[in-house]
Amino acid sequence: MKLKEIDRTAMQAWSPAQQHPIYLATGTSAQQLDATFSTNASLEIFELDLSDPSLDMKSCATFSSSHRYHKLIWGPHTMASDGSLSGVLIAGGENGNIILYDPSKIIAGESEVIIAQKDKHTGPVRALDVNIFQTNLVASGANESEIYIWDLNNFATPMTPGAKTQPPEDISCIAWNRQVQHILASASPSGRATVWDLRKNEPIIKVSDHSNRMHCSDLAWHPDVATQMVLASEDDRLPVIQMWDLRFASSPLRVLENHTRGILTIAWSMADSELLLSCGKDAKILCSNPNTGEVLYELPTNTQWCFDVQWCPRNPAILSAASFDGRISIYSIMGGSTDGLRQKQVDKLSSSFGNLDPFGTGQPLPPLHLPQQTTPQSTVLPLKKPPKWVRRPVGASFSFGGKLVTFENIKSHQQGPEQQQLQHHVYVSQVVTEREFLNRSDQLQEAVQSEGFINYCQKKIEAAQTDFEKNVWSFLKVNFEEDSRGKYLELLGYRKDDLGQKITSALNKENLVDGKLEEALKESDQSVQSNGEDSQSTEEPFLGEKTKEETEDLTSGKETFNISVSGDVDGLITQALLTGSFESAVDLCLHDNRMADAIILAIAGGQELLSRTQKKYFAKMQSKITRLITAVVTKNWKEIVQSCDLQNWREALAAVLTYARPDEFAALCDLLGTRLENEGDNLLQTQACLCYICAGNVEKLVACWTKAQDGNSPLSLQDLIEKVIILRKAVQFTRSMDADAVGALLAEKMSQYANLLAAQGSIATALAFLPADTNQPKIVLLRDRLCRAQGELPVGQETPKSPYEREPVPKGRAGPVAGQMQMTQGPVQQYYQQGDNPPPPGFIMPPGAAHPNVLPHQAASPSYNMYSPAGARQPYPQTYQPPQQYSFGTGGSALYQPQQPIAPPTSASYANPPYMPSASPHSAPSQLYPGQPQPSPTSLNPGSSFPAPPSGASFQHGRPGAPATSVAYALSTGPTGTLPATNELPASQRTGPQNGWNDPPALNRMTKKKKIPDNFMPPAPITSPIMNPLLDPQSQMQQPPTSLPPAAQATFQPSHLPSGQPILQNPFQPIQQPLGQSVMPPAISKTSTEGAPGAPIGNTIQHVQSLPAEKITKKPIPDEHLILKTTFEALIQRCLSSATDPQTKRKLDDANKRLEFLYDKLREQTLSPAIINGLHSIAKSIETRNYTEGLNIHTHIVSTSNFSETSAFMPVLKVVLTQANKLGV
Amino acid sequence: MVSVINTVDTSHEDMIHDAQMDYYGTRLATCSSDRSVKIFDVRNGGQILIADLRGHEGPVWQVAWAHPMYGNILASCSYDRKVIVWKEENGTWEKTYEYTGHDSSVNSVCWAPHDYGLILACGSSDGAISLLSYTGDGQWEIKKISNAHTIGCNAVSWAPAVVPGSLIDQPSGQKPNYIKRFASGGCDNLIKIWKEEDAQWKEEQKLEAHSDWVRDVAWAPSIGLPTSTIASCSQDGRVFIWTCDDASGNSWSPKLLHKFNDVVWHVSWSITANILAVSGGDNKVTLWKESVDGLWVCISDVNKGQGAVSAITEGQQNEQ
Repeated sequence: MKLKEIDRTAMQAWSPAQQHPIYLATGTSAQQLDATFSTNASLEIFELDLSDPSLDMKSCATFSSSHRYHKLIWGPHTMASDGSLSGVLIAGGENGNIILYDPSKIIAGESEVIIAQKDKHTGPVRALDVNIFQTNLVASGANESEIYIWDLNNFATPMTPGAKTQPPEDISCIAWNRQVQHILASASPSGRATVWDLRKNEPIIKVSDHSNRMHCSDLAWHPDVATQMVLASEDDRLPVIQMWDLRFASSPLRVLENHTRGILTIAWSMADSELLLSCGKDAKILCSNPNTGEVLYELPTNTQWCFDVQWCPRNPAILSAASFDGRISIYSIMGGSTDGLRQKQVDKLSSSFGNLDPFGTGQPLPPLHLPQQTTPQSTVLPLKKPPKWVRRPVGASFSFGGKLVTFENIKSHQQGPEQQQLQHHVYVSQVVTEREFLNRSDQLQEAVQSEGFINYCQKKIEAAQTDFEKNVWSFLKVNFEEDSRGKYLELLGYRKDDLGQKITSALNKENLVDGKLEEALKESDQSVQSNGEDSQSTEEPFLGEKTKEETEDLTSGKETFNISVSGDVDGLITQALLTGSFESAVDLCLHDNRMADAIILAIAGGQELLSRTQKKYFAKMQSKITRLITAVVTKNWKEIVQSCDLQNWREALAAVLTYARPDEFAALCDLLGTRLENEGDNLLQTQACLCYICAGNVEKLVACWTKAQDGNSPLSLQDLIEKVIILRKAVQFTRSMDADAVGALLAEKMSQYANLLAAQGSIATALAFLPADTNQPKIVLLRDRLCRAQGELPVGQETPKSPYEREPVPKGRAGPVAGQMQMTQGPVQQYYQQGDNPPPPGFIMPPGAAHPNVLPHQAASPSYNMYSPAGARQPYPQTYQPPQQYSFGTGGSALYQPQQPIAPPTSASYANPPYMPSASPHSAPSQLYPGQPQPSPTSLNPGSSFPAPPSGASFQHGRPGAPATSVAYALSTGPTGTLPATNELPASQRTGPQNGWNDPPALNRMTKKKKIPDNFMPPAPITSPIMNPLLDPQSQMQQPPTSLPPAAQATFQPSHLPSGQPILQNPFQPIQQPLGQSVMPPAISKTSTEGAPGAPIGNTIQHVQSLPAEKITKKPIPDEHLILKTTFEALIQRCLSSATDPQTKRKLDDANKRLEFLYDKLREQTLSPAIINGLHSIAKSIETRNYTEGLNIHTHIVSTSNFSETSAFMPVLKVVLTQANKLGV
Repeated sequence: MVSVINTVDTSHEDMIHDAQMDYYGTRLATCSSDRSVKIFDVRNGGQILIADLRGHEGPVWQVAWAHPMYGNILASCSYDRKVIVWKEENGTWEKTYEYTGHDSSVNSVCWAPHDYGLILACGSSDGAISLLSYTGDGQWEIKKISNAHTIGCNAVSWAPAVVPGSLIDQPSGQKPNYIKRFASGGCDNLIKIWKEEDAQWKEEQKLEAHSDWVRDVAWAPSIGLPTSTIASCSQDGRVFIWTCDDASGNSWSPKLLHKFNDVVWHVSWSITANILAVSGGDNKVTLWKESVDGLWVCISDVNKGQGAVSAITEGQQNEQ
C-alpha cells in the first residue's frame, strides 16, 4: 500500500536504523531529466511522519547542490547515541567524486554542509556501501575496475581491496558482507562478481555463470548466511536473480525468474532474509523469497520502471521506490486499504509527457506491459507470508492465581532439520512476590484451624513493633481468656489486686478510724498515677466506693456525739432528726455542706430521699470525680462515655468494662470508639480500635483501621485481616453472638485480601478467607472464580455450571447469580455458627465440601431449589452427633467437645418458659425441615438422628435472642414437660396441611438470612430422624404433611425414658440406639443416601452411618399386635393396586415405610393401652371397610393421646385411611 | 519466587505466538504459526488437549478468552486477516463467528470488560481497529475505526470497567454509566486512547514517547483507585508506564520502566495490577514492580538468576 509520494527524480537514502524520526534523503539523479528538463540539482531531506495520513512527505530541508548523483547512501558513522540527527550522507557523483554531507547541517539550513569531498575515481561513482560493522568504512566503485575503501575518519587516502580486476570494467555495484566484516563483493555489467578479502588484500573468488548474458545490475549479500549472495541481471534476455553460495561457486544455487524483463535493482531486507525486493523493466516491484523463489508480494505499482528501491532500515515494513516517471513512492508491504484520505491529485505534468522519453536520452522506450492497471486497488493485500518481524517469538501473560504463562521460541540461526525438532512448550509458573504476606496468612489460618488463638495473640504481642500494636493484640487476646473484662481493665492499667493492696495500705497508713477516707482515696489516686497511668485514675473509686460505705458505717458506729439542740445548724439538724424529719435534716446538712451527713441521713430516710439527695449532692459537688461517682451511682454510663474528656478514654472504657451491663456493654464501647474516631486526634483515632475490639464490633474496627492505615499494601491488609479474623473468633467465642453477616466494608476488605492471596497462588486460603454469607456480586463472583481455579470439582459434582453459564446475555446477570449463591451459602454459614468454636464465617472447611453444593441446586427445578439449603447443609448432621460417640476430621470434634462441660448450666438457665408454650417457634422450624430431603441420608443413622444433638444445639445458642432454640431447651430440660409443649402444636400441624411439607414458607428464607442458627438447629430433632430415613428424596417432596407430627413424636418419645442416662442434657441418648435400630434398616439409609442428588457424601458421614447400622436387630412384633401390621399393610396394598396416579402411589409407598415407626413402637411395647386399643379399633373398621369410622377413631386417638407418642405414625395412618376411603378399596 | 509448575507440550508445529489462560486459570489456549489454536485443560498440573481448532489460513497471532458469563468463548486473530470467535457447545469447540472485515493481518484481539457486554476489539495491520459487539441471536454489530494507526495496529487493550465516582457508593439497581475506553498501539509509534461517545469511537488521546513500533499495550486492571495505568512496549526496547490521575483522562504522563537492548514484544499485568511481566525479543521474561518511591524495579530477572523463568524452563528442557 502506498503511503507517501515525493515528486522527484532522485536517488534516495533512508536514514540509518538508529535514527528517529525516520528521514529520507533524496539527491537529484544524474543521467536523468524530469519533464521540466531542469538541470538544477538538490539534496533534500524528508521526514516520514506516519501519523500524518496524507500522501505528502514532510520536507525538512533542501540544499542546492552543484552535483547530480549516481548513488546516495546514509551511513550511521558518528551517529550520536542520543538519536539526534546525524550520520553521514555519502554521495557518488558524476565525475568520480565522492562527497560527504552532514545531514544535520542540511536540516539546520546551514550553507556549509559538505564534510569532505574527493575526486579520486574515474567516471561516475555508481557503487557505494557502508560496512555495517565498522561504519567508518565505505567502499566505492566506479569505472576502470576502480574500487576504493574509504575511512571516514581519515578520508584523505583511500585503500584498495587488492589489484584491479582485468580487464577493466565498470563497477556497477558493491556490497559488504553482512556477516563477515572484511569481505566485500563487487559486480560489473559484464556479469562477473568478485569477492574480496580485505585482510588478504586480494580477490578470493570470482563468480559468474557461463551464459555471458548475465549483466549484473545489482548484488546483495544474504543478511544471515555469510556465503550467500544474489546477483540481478538487467539483460532482458535473462531477467533473473541468481542466488549463489560461495561454497559451491560453480553455478548458481537458485535462479529466480519472476521478472519478464531485465532487473534494475534489488534490495534484501535486513529484517527478514526471506524478503527480497526486485524491480525490473517490466515495471514490476516484486517481493520474493530468495530461499525458495516464491513471489510473496507484488507491489501495486502502475507507473514506470523503478531504478532504485530501498528498504527502510528502521521500519521494516516500509520501502521506497524511485521510478523514472519522476516520483519516489513510499510503500508498506503490510497491505491495507487506501481510503479517500490518501488520494492525491494526478500529477498532470508528468502524465502529459507520459511515457515518451523520461530519460531524455532519445532512446525509445518499449511499451509497458501493464498499462491498464492504473487504477489503484482500494484494498491491498499484504505479503503472502508474514514477515519475520511480526511473528512474536516470546510472551508472558499473567493469569488468575498468580500464574504466569510463558513461551519462547528459541532463535535458530541455522535453517535445517533441527528446527523441526524444536518443541513448542508453554510454561505455567507460579509467581510469588509476597513471601511475608503468605507466611503470615498461613500462620493466621493455622491459628484459626487449630483454635490456638491465645498463642497466636501472644506471639503477636511479642512481635509487636509498637505499643499500639501490642495493645491491640493484648485486647484481642483477652477475648479468649477467662474474665475478659477484668483483663481488659488490667490492660487499661487497673489491676484489682494491686488496687486492693494500695487501698489497704493507704487505709492502714492513715489509720482510718476517723473517716479520713478522702485522703485515702487521694492517696490511692496518687499511687496509681505514679504507677504510670496517665491521668486522674478514676478507677480506684470503684473499689473505694465500697470501702467507703463500710468504713462510714464503722465510723458512725464508733463515734459518740452530743445531741445538741442549739440554734446553729447542728441544732437544727438535731431537731429535725429528732422529729423524724429526715428530709429537712438532709437539706440542712446539704446547706451546711455536710455531705456525708446528708447522705447518711438520706439512707436512713429511705430510697426516695436517698436518690433525691444523691441528685442534689451531685448537682452541688463539682469535683473531678463527681461525675464518675454520679455515673456509678445512677448507673448512667452513657453519660460518662458521651461527655468524658477524650483524653480520658481509657478511664471511660475502664468504667464501662467494670460497670456496664452485658446488654449495653458493646454499645457503650462502640459509642466511645465512635467519639474517639470522630473527635480525637490521630492518636486517639487509632485508640478507637481498642474500643471496637472491646465492643466486638468488627465492622467498625475495619472502618477505623482503614481510615488510619494505608490499606493497599499486602502487609497492611494482612495486619488488618489478622485482627479482624481474631476478633470475629473472639466475638463468637466469648459472646456466642452469631457473627452477623459481613458488612460491606469488611466484605470489601476480605475480598481484597482474598484477591491478594489468590494473586500469590494461595487459592485455597483465599477461598477460606472469603466471606461466605454475602451476596455482593463481586464476592460471589470471586468465590466462584476461586473454586473453579482450584480445578477440583467436588465429589458427586456434575458438569460444572458456572454461575454465568448461559447464553450470552450481557445484562442482568449479577442478580440471579447472587441469589443462587446466597441460597446455598447461607446454610454453609449456619453450619459453622453452631459450634462453640466455629471457624469465622468466612471459613469453609473444607471448602470443597461446602461450596460444591451450589451447583447441583442450580440445576434443579425451582421447587427443588427451595430445599437446596438443606442439601447444602449436608455436613451439619455431623453437628448432631453426640460428641462422645464420634469425632470428625475437620473441626467437627473441636466443635462439639466443649458442649458437655458447658452445656448443662447454659441450657438450664435458658430453658425459658416463655418459649415453651409458643407454638410458632416449633412450627416454623419444622416447616423448614421437611424440606430437607438431602440431609436425610445422614439423619437416617441412629446416631445422628437423635435428639441428643438438639441439646448440643441448644447450648450453642442458649443465649437470649435465640428464640427458636427454645424447642431444644424445652426438650432437654423437661423430659416429661415436653408433652404439653408439643401438644401445643397447632392442630393443623398435626393433621398436616399440604403446605407444611412442600413449601418452605418464605419465612424460612428470611430467617435463614438473619437468624441462621436459630431456625436451623431446632427443627432437626423434630423431623429429620423420621421423615428422612424412610423416604427417598423424591417421594419425600411429595410427602403429605402428616408425617410432621410423627417426627415430633419420635424425638420426644425417648425423653420419657431418661433412666440410666449419664448425661443430663442428653436425655434421649439411650433411646436413640434402639429406636434407630428398629427404624432404619441400613439398606434404606443407603438408598436414600445415594438418592440425594448432587449432595456430596463425605466419608465422615458415611462412616457415622455405618456405625449404628451394624448393631441393628429388631425384636418381633408381639403376636397380639401383629394383626395391626398385616391389616395396615394389606390396606396399603389394596390402595396401591387401585391407585392410578403416581403421586398417590408414592404417598402410599411412603406411608408404608413410615408405618414402620408404628411397628417399631409395637415391638418396643411403648405405646399406651389407649392407643393400642384405638389402633385395633381402626384395624377392625378397616376390615369392615368402614374407613369413615376408622378416621373417626383416628381423630379420637389423636385428640386424646400424647401427641409425641403418636405423631410418628398417626398422620401416616390417616393418609392411608383417607386414601382408602377415596379409592373405595 | 517464580517456579514452573507445569510444562505444556503444545505439539504445535511452528512458533507459538500467544498463550492465554482462561478466567479461572484452568484452561490454556495457545496459537501458532502452524495456523492452529489449541486448548488444554491444565488443571492440577495436567495438560489434556481439549480442542485443536482449525480454521485460520495463516499464523494465528493472539487468542483471547471472553468472560465466562458468556459461556466458553475464545477469539483468535490471524495473519489471514480473519478474526474467529470459537465457542464451546456441549463440550465441543466450534467456530461461531468469523469476521473478515480487515484487509491485512489482524494482530490483536481483546475482549471488553464483561460489564459492557460481549465486545471484541481487533487491531489490524491495515491500520484499522474493529469493534465487534454481540447483539444476540448470533448477530454481531461492527464498528470500524479506519486508519487508527498508519501501517498497522499491533495491540489493543481495554480499560477496566470503572464507573465515574467511587466504587463503593455505587447506586444499586441502576445501570452504571460506564465510559468505555481502550488503548491501542501501532506502527506509527503511537499509543492512542479511544473513547466511546454517542456510540461513536473517538480518539481521545495520542501518547507519544516511543521511537519505534509500539508492540504491545496493556491497560492495568483497576485496583479501586482513580488512577489509570497503561504499560506499553516497543520495538525501540523501551517500556513505558503511563499514568493518568485525572478522571477526565486527559493528562497522561509516561515513566520509563526500562530500556532493553532488544525488541520488547509483550507486557502483561498481574491480576492485582502490581506486577508487570515484560517479554523481550531476547526471549527473556522479566517481572517488574513499582517500589515505594515510585521506581520500577526488576524483581525477577533471568540474567541475575533470581526468579529465573527461563533458567528453570531450560533446565526442564534439558531433562526431556
